[in-house]
Amino acid sequence: MKNLDEVVRLFAEGLWGTLWLSLASFALALVLGAILAMMNVSPAPPARWAAQTYTAFFRNTPLLAIILLAGFGLPKIGLRFEPEQWALITLGMYTSAFVGETLRSGINSISLGQAEAARSIGLTFGQSLRHVILPQAVRTVVPPLGTLYTALVKNTALALVLGFPEIAAKAELMINQDVSSVWAIIIGLVVCYLLINLPASWLISRAEKRATFAR
Amino acid sequence: MSKPSQSSVLFDALGPRGRKRVAASSVGSLIVVLAIVGFAAYQLNSKGFFEADRWANPLDALVIENSWLPALLNTLQAAGMGCVGALVLGTFIGFGRISRFKVLRFLSGVYVQFFRAMPVVMLIWLPFTSLNHIGVNVNSLWFVVVGLAVYNGAVLAEILRSGINALPSGQAAAGQAIGLRHGQVMRYVVFPQAFRNMLPAVLAQLVVLLKDTALGYIVVYTELLRTGRLVGTDYPQSYLQSLIIAAGVYFIIAYTLSKIVSVVEKRTRRKVPKAAKAVAPGLSAVGGGGVTVA
Repeated sequence: MKNLDEVVRLFAEGLWGTLWLSLASFALALVLGAILAMMNVSPAPPARWAAQTYTAFFRNTPLLAIILLAGFGLPKIGLRFEPEQWALITLGMYTSAFVGETLRSGINSISLGQAEAARSIGLTFGQSLRHVILPQAVRTVVPPLGTLYTALVKNTALALVLGFPEIAAKAELMINQDVSSVWAIIIGLVVCYLLINLPASWLISRAEKRATFAR
Repeated sequence: MSKPSQSSVLFDALGPRGRKRVAASSVGSLIVVLAIVGFAAYQLNSKGFFEADRWANPLDALVIENSWLPALLNTLQAAGMGCVGALVLGTFIGFGRISRFKVLRFLSGVYVQFFRAMPVVMLIWLPFTSLNHIGVNVNSLWFVVVGLAVYNGAVLAEILRSGINALPSGQAAAGQAIGLRHGQVMRYVVFPQAFRNMLPAVLAQLVVLLKDTALGYIVVYTELLRTGRLVGTDYPQSYLQSLIIAAGVYFIIAYTLSKIVSVVEKRTRRKVPKAAKAVAPGLSAVGGGGVTVA
């Protein structure tokens, strides 16, 4: 290690990039995933089909293929975005398919009796969804959503093929400069991911504790 | 559909007006979906996306024979070897996690935490680049296989551990009560039951492993995605099309396998309550088990 300051600076930059990218694309994934889940439980078949097709595509295609397709393929037909924007969009859309499935299974995990009870005391569809089903569904969904976020943090490493300045790209840069320090960089890499994921899983378990209730 | 979906309870049984409303919203959403698809198709068409040449060139018989087929075989080879490696590693580490020996538990815990914290890309790319810098040349297949096996081994170990921990402790206790040793309890009582419970999760993870072979792209392993780009460079007019073909092949394989996994999942789920029912009436079922094999 020649220059510790330089290494720390690069890792800090990468950490910021990864954190920013993961949070932004997770926000996008939550919004898209909620829309997908609504389409999935809606009574209109075309909406369900569209959601199912979208989900099947993103769940069964490698993320790297999607990133390359979007980042290098689509510009060929004039669909141009900055690489950073492509990274955010592809990660968000990819994760949204999983978020949508999680939310849907959260809704389905609420026992039928709850919905029946809500219906039988005269709540409308919207009311029973808002006051009975969703509050419970949200709670069951917190832990798996947290798992999705930690997976997303690791998936941001793929943004390096688009030249996004996140941890993995910084590590690549450092190794190419000085390969003798590869062990230090590997450890730094792990520490960086843990720096994001450990607080995240701590927050998740806190949220989980607050959200649990006697059932 | 013969079986009403779970969410249908949220609606009243629809009257004539409700049915009309649903029909109207169906038509409405169909129009919206078609409009989006149509607009995208129109835009693509205006860029010449659908021109026959652009698709025919990368799908020429010669290209298929010389590029796509070897790429498919490479992908399947990496996936197959990765699966074997991951299963072997996962079994060892997983049993280490639940071992009676503290050292083994600790070491395998460290292994799992470390490798699950790393992105798979880095596990494939770091050995590749370090060895390259030193000047050692290894077939890039090995980086893909080892990276995937090491990472998925950690994931499978966790699946194994939680599958075994999820089994009621009475099962192991019963095994010990009839005088089985620890290893026998594991082999004849705990593992067979845990195996059935975790089979869907294991298979799903192996599908993920297959998808992750696309990361071989990073270490210039000529799997489908790398080939897609190579073909795309040969036919610059078909660059996007080649990538779509590569992604499409991945999709078809992974989609088929996930369908199979969900069938397995349904079958294992159905079997468990049945078996439980058969045991419930009396002790007669116990003698029928494979316990006496030892």
